[in-house]
Amino acid sequence: MPGWRVVVDFDLCESNAVCAGLAPEVFEVRDDDFLYLLDEQPPDALRERVQDAVRQCPKQAISIEET
Amino acid sequence: MSDTTTPYYDPYDFDIDADPYPVWRRLRNEAPLYYNEKYDFYALTRFEDVERVSLEWQTYISGKGSVLELIKSGLVMPPGNILFEDPPSHDLHRGLLARVFTPRRMAAIEPQVREFCARSLDPLVGSGGFDFVRDIGAQMPMRTIGMLLGIPEDHQEAIRDQIDEGMRIAEGAMPDRDDGYAVTMGSGFEEYIDWRVDHPSDDLMTELINAELEEPDGTRRKLTREEVLSYVGLIAAAGNETTTRLIGWTGKVLAENPEQRAELVADPSLVPNAIEELLRYEAPSPIQARYVTRDVEHHGTTVPEGSVMCIITASANRDERRFEEPDRFDIHRKIDHHLTFGFGIHFCLGAALARLEGRVALDEVLKRFPTWEVDWDNAERAHTTTVRGWERLPVLTS
Repeated sequence: MPGWRVVVDFDLCESNAVCAGLAPEVFEVRDDDFLYLLDEQPPDALRERVQDAVRQCPKQAISIEET
Repeated sequence: MSDTTTPYYDPYDFDIDADPYPVWRRLRNEAPLYYNEKYDFYALTRFEDVERVSLEWQTYISGKGSVLELIKSGLVMPPGNILFEDPPSHDLHRGLLARVFTPRRMAAIEPQVREFCARSLDPLVGSGGFDFVRDIGAQMPMRTIGMLLGIPEDHQEAIRDQIDEGMRIAEGAMPDRDDGYAVTMGSGFEEYIDWRVDHPSDDLMTELINAELEEPDGTRRKLTREEVLSYVGLIAAAGNETTTRLIGWTGKVLAENPEQRAELVADPSLVPNAIEELLRYEAPSPIQARYVTRDVEHHGTTVPEGSVMCIITASANRDERRFEEPDRFDIHRKIDHHLTFGFGIHFCLGAALARLEGRVALDEVLKRFPTWEVDWDNAERAHTTTVRGWERLPVLTS
């Protein structure tokens, strides 16, 4: 079944936490101040919000990969 | 009635700077790629264009400066100033600071920021008025960045004034930057750095002195004294001036929108979005410049390699293609993102700090002064090439 996957470039990520605000089910900035990807293959219902995160990430560190 | 003249934009013209939005609107509609003959630069004003250029750092570089007259001066930029660097050195240098200004770390200093506001504002309660810039905008950010860097309080003001002076420009001409502006950005801090080497503390300056930098070839080394100076100077300059102007705009725009101000007084949970809208509506740093490394085409015209491209972020924020009724200030506006902090690799490192300071300042002002009117006879604009706003914004409170 064709699907999609969230990819974060951790070399670019600076924990601005924009993504965590938009899709907290997928992105979390923890106490250590690093971003954690909670769900690499989120349900389709979240796709739109993950796309918002991709677009709004100021460092452009997030992408969606079709699998 | 239509205006048949060609629109003209000049970043050094104080009259245009007083209200640049009408000319920027004309540029967006009539000359989306604008060329200024007098100073020989191109400018992009639409959101889509400004955002795209911000992302294409290989073509639009910062390594020759990111201010129009700096690029034109041909000065060699000193190392360590990430505003004037490109990858790979930019990424290495930025990496050292990237974890210092995260939203979480900034949230942790909120109580101190609140206290700095209280210290500035409490003595003014009952005095009939205050100055948004002098009394709070120029005070709290200075104390906050001074605290983070570890600068003694009694020296903070002198350092800030020196930075402000260095950025000021005269009317109607491109400033001559042979005065070493870029090179001496860190001056005034030498004595603290040398002292901190022997007296480490829990501050950013100590962190920088001890930080290890990884070179592109993988070797690790400590920062040179010049690099530490450069970092400290940049943080102090960026951390003072821009937020000062944001707080000035807050006083002006909310005075013009008293109903929305009353809403904020009644419901302080609206403050964060109000700050976001203020950032969109009056960007404190409205124009950035890049050096173009290859021939590029915009709107059917070729921009030759070696040109200077200005990207007018404050115009992008008012682009009617992106924002509905862009010239209307609306604290309830849903903002996907604005370009006030830039976008891409140079995205403002201090964004979380600026948002915090803007929010706390507005909160603390509203708690003490729910209404005010601007004393226009005594208001005064600030004139620098990189920052737009108020030098004095006195208000009358009842």
